[in-house]
Amino acid sequence: MNFIVSSSTLRKGLQQIGGVLNASNSLPILDNFLFELSGQDLTISASDIENTMRTKVVVDEGKEDGKVAVPAKLLMDILKNFADQPLSFSIDTGNFGIEISSDYGKYKLVGQNAGDFPKGQELENANEITISGDIIVNAIDKCLFATGNDDLRPVMSGVFFEFSEDKLNFVATDAHKLVKYTRTDGVANKSADFILPKKPLNLLKQNITSEDSISINYNDTTVRFSFNEIELTSRLIDGKYPNYEAVIPVENPNVLTVDRISFLNSLKRVSIFSNKTTHQVRLKVAGSELSISAEDLDFSNEAKERLTCNYVGDDIEIGFNSKFLLEMLNHLTCNEVILEMSEPNKAGILLPVDKENDSEKILMLVMPVMIR
Amino acid sequence: MRAVMHMDLDTFFVSCERLMDRRLIGKPVMIGGTSDRGVVAACSYEARKYGVHSAMPMRMAKQLCPDAIILRGNSGVYSKFSNMVTDIIKEEVPLYEKTSVDEFYADLTGMDRFYGCHKFASELRQRIIKETMLPISFGLSQNKTVSKIATGEAKPNNEIEVSKGTEKTFLAPLSVKKIPMVGDKTYRTLCDLGVKRIKTIQEMPIEVMEKVFGKNGIMIWKKANGIDNSPVIPYQERKSISTERTFDKDTIDTVKLEGILTAIAENLVYQLRRGNKLTACITVKIRYSDFQTYTLQKRIPYSASDNTIIPLVMELYRKLYQRRMLVRLIGVRFSHLVEGGHQINLFDDSNTIKLYQAMDHIRERYGDRSIMRASGMGAKSISRWNPFNGEPPPLLANRRR
Repeated sequence: MNFIVSSSTLRKGLQQIGGVLNASNSLPILDNFLFELSGQDLTISASDIENTMRTKVVVDEGKEDGKVAVPAKLLMDILKNFADQPLSFSIDTGNFGIEISSDYGKYKLVGQNAGDFPKGQELENANEITISGDIIVNAIDKCLFATGNDDLRPVMSGVFFEFSEDKLNFVATDAHKLVKYTRTDGVANKSADFILPKKPLNLLKQNITSEDSISINYNDTTVRFSFNEIELTSRLIDGKYPNYEAVIPVENPNVLTVDRISFLNSLKRVSIFSNKTTHQVRLKVAGSELSISAEDLDFSNEAKERLTCNYVGDDIEIGFNSKFLLEMLNHLTCNEVILEMSEPNKAGILLPVDKENDSEKILMLVMPVMIR
Repeated sequence: MRAVMHMDLDTFFVSCERLMDRRLIGKPVMIGGTSDRGVVAACSYEARKYGVHSAMPMRMAKQLCPDAIILRGNSGVYSKFSNMVTDIIKEEVPLYEKTSVDEFYADLTGMDRFYGCHKFASELRQRIIKETMLPISFGLSQNKTVSKIATGEAKPNNEIEVSKGTEKTFLAPLSVKKIPMVGDKTYRTLCDLGVKRIKTIQEMPIEVMEKVFGKNGIMIWKKANGIDNSPVIPYQERKSISTERTFDKDTIDTVKLEGILTAIAENLVYQLRRGNKLTACITVKIRYSDFQTYTLQKRIPYSASDNTIIPLVMELYRKLYQRRMLVRLIGVRFSHLVEGGHQINLFDDSNTIKLYQAMDHIRERYGDRSIMRASGMGAKSISRWNPFNGEPPPLLANRRR
């Protein structure tokens, strides 16, 4: 098995899929890339069992089809240190010896039997939907931060994809905050839902651009995203996603409208003075004035700011973890936001006022902290 | 040069009782638990003549001094008297530390320049005696340790000043037991080494002490030589809160044990909420009848809610209670405390939250024990104090000091 490939093309391909590799693996074979040569096409795969990612690189010259597993770290490290130049690979499929020749010299390494490399998950009885990259990019961007980290509740550690015939919903929650991102410009021919774990979400985020068109194949256990030359197959999180619709309060008579950037900056300043572990701030709305305050009794730190706002409803005093509010405001892009509230011990709902895109809907929910 | 004053109210509980009932004056009085497990929390000097001392089992004390008047004591009343004293000190001294109901440190550094530390301290003591009628003693020296030992020597109802440079000679003839760090065990080890007087420690090289007692040895050696740089700390943030219960009779009644644990946990969680605190570490402690003590702890996300913490306490208890043996003591401790309110969970039942808020409201108005879980009603004497007001915990009469 021999081929000549441009070092930068190969490096680009490896960087796309390199994110799948874990720093430490239980199976040594998983520290390798799988190279499969067929004519001019070199297919490279990386896997951590749960996720398999595959990309295609066109080689300049290919001789003798075949496959081999190549040590990933060694290969990535050496590629990083080359200026763009053709590299010639010659691989002995008998003893898996790999020899790379560059303009500077020769490098030898030993690969492993490609047969040991785990086969990607099969995808049987799959449904298919094709949507634009823009939807996925935005959905991941808006939802990912709200996912949970609790090992005891694995369903909440991913993003819930909910496809129906008139809209697509993407939901993430860690039980303290929740984001629901809805698009009406993409539809599925059949209702379906699945929970995608964090790792493939991050891999998608790194590789998808808004212009791509993405085809998604899925069944109950596995999902495959295909775009450009890349294919990502992931095992889904098994379990039932909590009934999030039931916990989003419908009646929120107290509606606050405020400039997002001013609110964000005020919060940033005030939260510096809040307790370093709990980050709690207090919002008090009376008339058309929003006051934000925080204190850290341990160090006698205290801050209070006032903002003008539009407010309809009864005066209210409510506590929040400022980190959650900041994250949410940071992930919105609008000029003004609405904060809907009902009671000091019930959820606050953050909504953008002005939208760039008529077919998207964003709802962010944050649970308050009890204040005295 | 520093000047630190240590004040200690003499036989505080007894003095309080005597203020309320003059008939007690001049008689041997003991205050403490009256049950079999009770210990002496305080006793008058008349009772001490018979060999009674605080922390002695009440049974033994009764045998030593059968004529003594035994009182159960009332921590609420004592706290009131203690606060009267605190108020006076607060008025007179800018920097003071209240280490227990009846002990205070005051930093008088700089006072000598225009008034005289000793004069000031004496007048403060006279004012306290005049206004509260409680006998009080003090020691005055360069640091906390020497002042505390001096107070002990001054008692009852007197004062001692240890001037600069005389600390070592003052300490030398005293028993090593007088050093605040030396308890029963250390004392025994020191006796085995042939060390009885502080003088001997002063003459020993510091390395020997370190070899025998480790780090503590260095501390003891320094204290014996009158060296102590610890500052007077006006307010101490609580690092943990805990409650424990010793049973009158050892028990294996698991229903009772679980009931008491529930009551303890419920009360402590309420204390957290009242102090606007959250905990991140729960510890459960069990002492069996053979005095073997076991603890088990668990880190949790910051919380102060009944329905997350009480089940965890139970879970820890069930894991910990392994030996088929009578239980002498159980307790719960919350540590890693931070300031903050409970973060409400999206999937919590909002009615539950309202219920707890209503219960807290009732407790705030009518007292800690006005409302509680039925399972915890069996436990009667779970403490009622607010742990977050900067005050040291009041000693219940039946509690070991």
